[in-house]
Amino acid sequence: MNRRTYEEVAVGEELPALPIPLTRTLIVATAIASRDYQDVHHDPGLAVERGSKDIFMNILTTNGLVDRYVTEWAGPAAVVKAIRIRLGVPNHPGDTMTLTGTVTAKHDEDRRVEIAVRGENGLGAHVTGTVVVRLPSKVAT
Amino acid sequence: MTAYEDFAGREIVPLREGPDPVNVPMIRHWAEAMGDRNPVHLDDDAARAAGRPGIVAPASMTQAWTMRGYAASITGSGAGPGAEELNALLEKDGYTSVVATDSEFEFHRELVVGDRVNVREVVESISPEKSTALGVGRFVTTVRTYTDQDGEVVAVQRWRLLRFRPKAPSPEKRAPKALRPRPAVNRDNAFWFEAAREHRLVVQRCSGCGTLRHPPGPCCPHCGSFEWDVAEASGRGQVYSFVVAHHPRHPAFEYPLIVAVVELDEGTRLITNLVGVEPGEVEIGMPVVLDWLDADPDLSLPVFRPQEND
Amino acid sequence: MSRLSGAAAVAGIGATEFSKDSGRSELRLACEAVLAAIADAGLKPSDVDGMVTFTADTNAEIHVARTTGMGDLTFFSRIPHGGGAACGTVQQAALAVATGVADVVVCYRAFNERSGVRYGLGQADRPVETAADIGADGAAYAWLNPFGLSTPAQWVAMFARRYMHEYGATSEDFGRVAVVDRKHAANNPAAWFYQRPITLEDHQASRWIAEPLHLLDCCQETDGGQALVVVSAERARDLPHPPAVILGAAQGSGDDQHMMTSYYRPRITGIPEMGLVGLQLYAQSGLGPADMDAAILYDHFTPLVLPQLEELGFCAPGEAKDFVAEGNLELGGRLPFNTHGGQLGEAYLHGMNGIAEAVRLVRGTSVNQPEGVRNVIVTAGTGVPTSGLVLGAGR
Ligand SMILES: [Zn+2]
Repeated sequence: MNRRTYEEVAVGEELPALPIPLTRTLIVATAIASRDYQDVHHDPGLAVERGSKDIFMNILTTNGLVDRYVTEWAGPAAVVKAIRIRLGVPNHPGDTMTLTGTVTAKHDEDRRVEIAVRGENGLGAHVTGTVVVRLPSKVAT
Repeated sequence: MTAYEDFAGREIVPLREGPDPVNVPMIRHWAEAMGDRNPVHLDDDAARAAGRPGIVAPASMTQAWTMRGYAASITGSGAGPGAEELNALLEKDGYTSVVATDSEFEFHRELVVGDRVNVREVVESISPEKSTALGVGRFVTTVRTYTDQDGEVVAVQRWRLLRFRPKAPSPEKRAPKALRPRPAVNRDNAFWFEAAREHRLVVQRCSGCGTLRHPPGPCCPHCGSFEWDVAEASGRGQVYSFVVAHHPRHPAFEYPLIVAVVELDEGTRLITNLVGVEPGEVEIGMPVVLDWLDADPDLSLPVFRPQEND
Repeated sequence: MSRLSGAAAVAGIGATEFSKDSGRSELRLACEAVLAAIADAGLKPSDVDGMVTFTADTNAEIHVARTTGMGDLTFFSRIPHGGGAACGTVQQAALAVATGVADVVVCYRAFNERSGVRYGLGQADRPVETAADIGADGAAYAWLNPFGLSTPAQWVAMFARRYMHEYGATSEDFGRVAVVDRKHAANNPAAWFYQRPITLEDHQASRWIAEPLHLLDCCQETDGGQALVVVSAERARDLPHPPAVILGAAQGSGDDQHMMTSYYRPRITGIPEMGLVGLQLYAQSGLGPADMDAAILYDHFTPLVLPQLEELGFCAPGEAKDFVAEGNLELGGRLPFNTHGGQLGEAYLHGMNGIAEAVRLVRGTSVNQPEGVRNVIVTAGTGVPTSGLVLGAGR
């Protein structure tokens, strides 16, 4: 994994895009891993009855994927300080969500870095938001 | 105050302990499903090498420790008296469906193996009825405070759900809805759409002579100044003119569609949509108040609804 | 009177048929119309040395000139703002002729506006450039498209609603304009709606497009081309037809002008840019409203005909509904109007077919020719920066 230091990150830096195939198994497995048993996340018949076209990913998983995306780039020493997301179109099976991110701000006093993230699928933006991580200093490590 | 306004500040979930302490098997299950290969979540040595005392749970997993799990989701019980009262009120008004729209987590410390995670939930606000792509509903915003075994706060989460009346299901409605046309944003007008995303209706104000102007421009036609800031509009105004559009139909909109020119109390006018009113009820001069339409994650627009007389 | 007044004249007019599906390229339509106008003027393509069209036209001067064998050009110019350009093209031509920059200038407009790009469908999905500094014209749509206000009918409806509110006008008052247009078109073999008049009841029963506009308040969408030939008034007298002398030719853009959505002015019941055109036309020609024997007023949508009558001095503000209801726009009325059938009845040629009709009125050859026509006022697009003409038999 990477091990990014605060000093080597620049505002405007773009994170490599991460496409995530949205398989039915992924949507169900992540719902269960987050202890979310709402039927719309695993039962296609009931999801359609409730006005959706198919099952869709739960928000805890979106948090988890955004977390994974940023920490994979930042490295194990990074500490996640905030994850703020807004959901848009749903993540349905068969689609692909591509996560992208851009460093938007740096705070020297506590080495916090803000990353704007966005996850697009075939319908549009599934998620937009901000992740804040504290990175290690080159000097301290 | 309405029954909904009454809920602001109320605790709807009293402090509740998560069923399991932070533990490696559940972290492993999570990390596998999410595809999270960060070694600090599963390998003590790697975690220590990365400055931790030992294995730490993924930050995003905080909420999962407090989920009530399969049994509660089947019986629907045990949410807490406040939550049940709020649910009953929402169901009575037909807001039977729910979708999570926002989660804003601030993490105070990382969770380590053995931590207990507790949560309490307090209502921050419940919006007036809004028209959304899913249906008419109310946004319920709560604050969840997560504490550990010592009562120390480990994370705070602002959580927003849309409780809505699902639109009558039809094959057409189930098809993905087109997005509203994107605004053509450039250096002269971007500030207005950025403010709108934060639900602020602003009016450009000349720094030279104080004149408000909308639509905005780079230069003041009165004094020639290129300096400007913005004033926040009060959100009150009246209908100056309006159109009820029928044809042609753009797939992003519901027709008949009411488009209005609203004159703000501040004196400037803007083009907007009217909501919460039937086309036949709109009149020129009608007092209206600001509301917000979150059309999609990238586009929030000011819309107006009739001012209620009370 | 200005130096421009009387210096130039329209000596030739020519058009294609007006249809819903021409089956030909826009360039071919332009060439057909241009050659017909040149022939009508008794000239040859090689006589032409100037060309004027709309910025909205897809047929660049070089293609029309090359294809029709015009040879050298010494003057070419284009006018922006859609239908507001129509009379402006003739003004450009007159200026060029009056100053000696060119001797024979062709004004033209041709499009497949029904079978090709339909303006009526609006601008909702016009591509949004991703560049940080998208231009001001594009950025103006930011205030319209996200709210679903994207078509010309909707833009006009906003003015119409306020006009109704302030002056007590009704949908029927707009409908009467459509009925006159269609009545005149019914007698015009070149009109799309030849022999198909409507009643006020038909108008009221037609479906809503953008309340308060019914379908029959809206002009057609047309495939076709129209061209005009402008030469000096002196030369025109030696050509086959009686000259339609350009007594006035003006453009106008008003204070706080927007493209179709000038909703931010203190009042929006008038058309200040048209008032500005009218003042210039009367000052240039030394004539006034009382001297106008017929009017060709831009009628993409009926509601904006009413404030034109007010801005041009034919009646006081708010009184156009009565002026129309009293029958003044009929052939036997005070101000025979849109004798070709207008853009609702004949064709939507972005106002250029109306100028041709004014020429016929001056020649005395309209299919609906009133008696004793000497001076005709013509206007271009409303809601946009616009233009106007006074054509007459001259001295
Ligand atoms: Zn100023």
